[in-house]
Amino acid sequence: MSIQNTTADQQGQPEVLLDLKNISLSFGGVKAITDISFDIYEGEVRAIIGPNGAGKSSMLNVINGFYHPQEGEIWFDGKQRTGMKPYEIAYQGIARTFQNIALFKGMSVLDNLMTGRFTHMNKNLFWQALWKGPAEQEEIINREFVEHIIDFLEIQAIRKTPVGRLPYGLQKRVELGRALAAQPKLLLLDEPMAGMNVEEKEDMCRFILDVNDTFGTTIALIEHDMGVVMDISDRVVVLDYGRKIGDGDPTAVRNDQTVIDAYLGVSH
Amino acid sequence: MSADFLYILEVILNGLMAGVMYSLVALGFVLIFKASGIFNYAQGVMALFAAMTLVGIQTGQIPFAHLINAIFGTEMHHFGWQVPAFLAIILTVGVMVLFAMIVEKYILHHLVNQEPIILFMATIGLAYFMEGFGDIMWGSDIKTMDVGIPSGGSLWLEEYTLGWAAEGERYWGMYIDKLDMVATLVAVILVVSLTLFSQYTKTGRALRAVADDHQAALSVGISLRAIWVIVWSIAGFVALVAGIMWGAKSGVQFSLSLIALKALPVLMLGGFTSIPGAIIGGLIIGVGEKLFEFAIGPMIGGATENWFAYVLALMFLVFRPQGLFGEKIIERV
Repeated sequence: MSIQNTTADQQGQPEVLLDLKNISLSFGGVKAITDISFDIYEGEVRAIIGPNGAGKSSMLNVINGFYHPQEGEIWFDGKQRTGMKPYEIAYQGIARTFQNIALFKGMSVLDNLMTGRFTHMNKNLFWQALWKGPAEQEEIINREFVEHIIDFLEIQAIRKTPVGRLPYGLQKRVELGRALAAQPKLLLLDEPMAGMNVEEKEDMCRFILDVNDTFGTTIALIEHDMGVVMDISDRVVVLDYGRKIGDGDPTAVRNDQTVIDAYLGVSH
Repeated sequence: MSADFLYILEVILNGLMAGVMYSLVALGFVLIFKASGIFNYAQGVMALFAAMTLVGIQTGQIPFAHLINAIFGTEMHHFGWQVPAFLAIILTVGVMVLFAMIVEKYILHHLVNQEPIILFMATIGLAYFMEGFGDIMWGSDIKTMDVGIPSGGSLWLEEYTLGWAAEGERYWGMYIDKLDMVATLVAVILVVSLTLFSQYTKTGRALRAVADDHQAALSVGISLRAIWVIVWSIAGFVALVAGIMWGAKSGVQFSLSLIALKALPVLMLGGFTSIPGAIIGGLIIGVGEKLFEFAIGPMIGGATENWFAYVLALMFLVFRPQGLFGEKIIERV
């Protein structure tokens, strides 16, 4: 299966897939993000960490187009983005999962994943209403792709189950599947392991690394479990109170005094 | 068979078919409510407007003729041609799609993320505006709908059932309106194709996705605005079908917009979010009110059909507040 094959050039200068420059975002008078800049290389796993309320999810929503920052520039795939709507950004190749699972609860696992293929299906309403012909062809091709994803995530047994009935851990996995079905250039994961037990976390870790390895998908993730973050990410950016306080590879960030203070608190 | 039994059977059959007519209207409500959480008060007026437009196009009426004549002092009312029913229906569908686009662009788009009650108010405004607009456009006179649907009792069925009654009983055969049979057939085709469309096409899945979760739908590339236009177009098409059937039955006139009130008990009973619910709900209401009218009506002076549907719906509500097929509401603490 070829989802995406743009791995970073290990030797030379890595290519920048997403570049955020001096992003500031506020809601009314409340500043959520203040002057944050960082970039994401093609093919890497980039973690965004920070204490609660640091602006991590807001950052993801900015990348995803749900929020429009008042200041700053966003460069994706070599082009600057201006005032795009979330659904247009999906067409650009950014897929995501949500902190509180946002699946289509009444639909089966298969249909959820097929909905993930939305941006790859372009036969118009006329053909769809006619059903036979091009629309059917398109349906079959995309269905085949979705079946690959189902195999990959090992969820064959629950293909036809309405997702609302699945246990939490599996729902998280299906949500990952829906995002993968879009063949994204950039995959955003908002706390993919929140609320999971150790075993489920290990599974999820394995899937994330597999996605990154086999498909070369660039991944940006928010996670609270430090062990996981240090294990799977190539580079880490640390936010606190809407500002960036650290950026670098996991070991460097772990030993950074500002980061330690932010997490443990510091007496003045 | 005894004649009494046959009478009851006839009442039930007629009730079922009346129920289908209610379901046709309720279907439009359900479609819009499911996709956008809006209770579209204007659904009944949409049916009236669609029916007026169809008749207007078919008979070659000049739209806004009254207004034009008043301003320019002319005296024209008709183009002087007749449009074939089939073509007129297609053109009317086009008008309803245009209507959906206008509603999305000038009303819904500005009310995104508002309280449901605000959206409800907006549809009330829309309903009364459309009522007046329809009158200005096509005139407020009563029109007859003639798209070639047969009407009147089925003679064949009357003769066929005549022999069913026991010898010597006073029985003249079963009376069922041909129009009702056509309406039932059309409703079945409509529901089956809508269901297939929503299950097996990309847009159908997108419709269901939007009904479930707006944020997630956006994140996979679904444009809410496009979906709303599609949903309102489909609701407009369903309104047209209801308008044709009801219009052919009782003429295209203002009272057509009141069929919305007939759909309310159906929705209370079937739930606002379920297409099968709208169908089954309609059938139960139809049969229930016809049987009640037949059995109890004569004892209390008749005309029970106006209110009995609501009593029936209220009784169901007491036991199942979410309706027969509505999603069960579970509040966890």
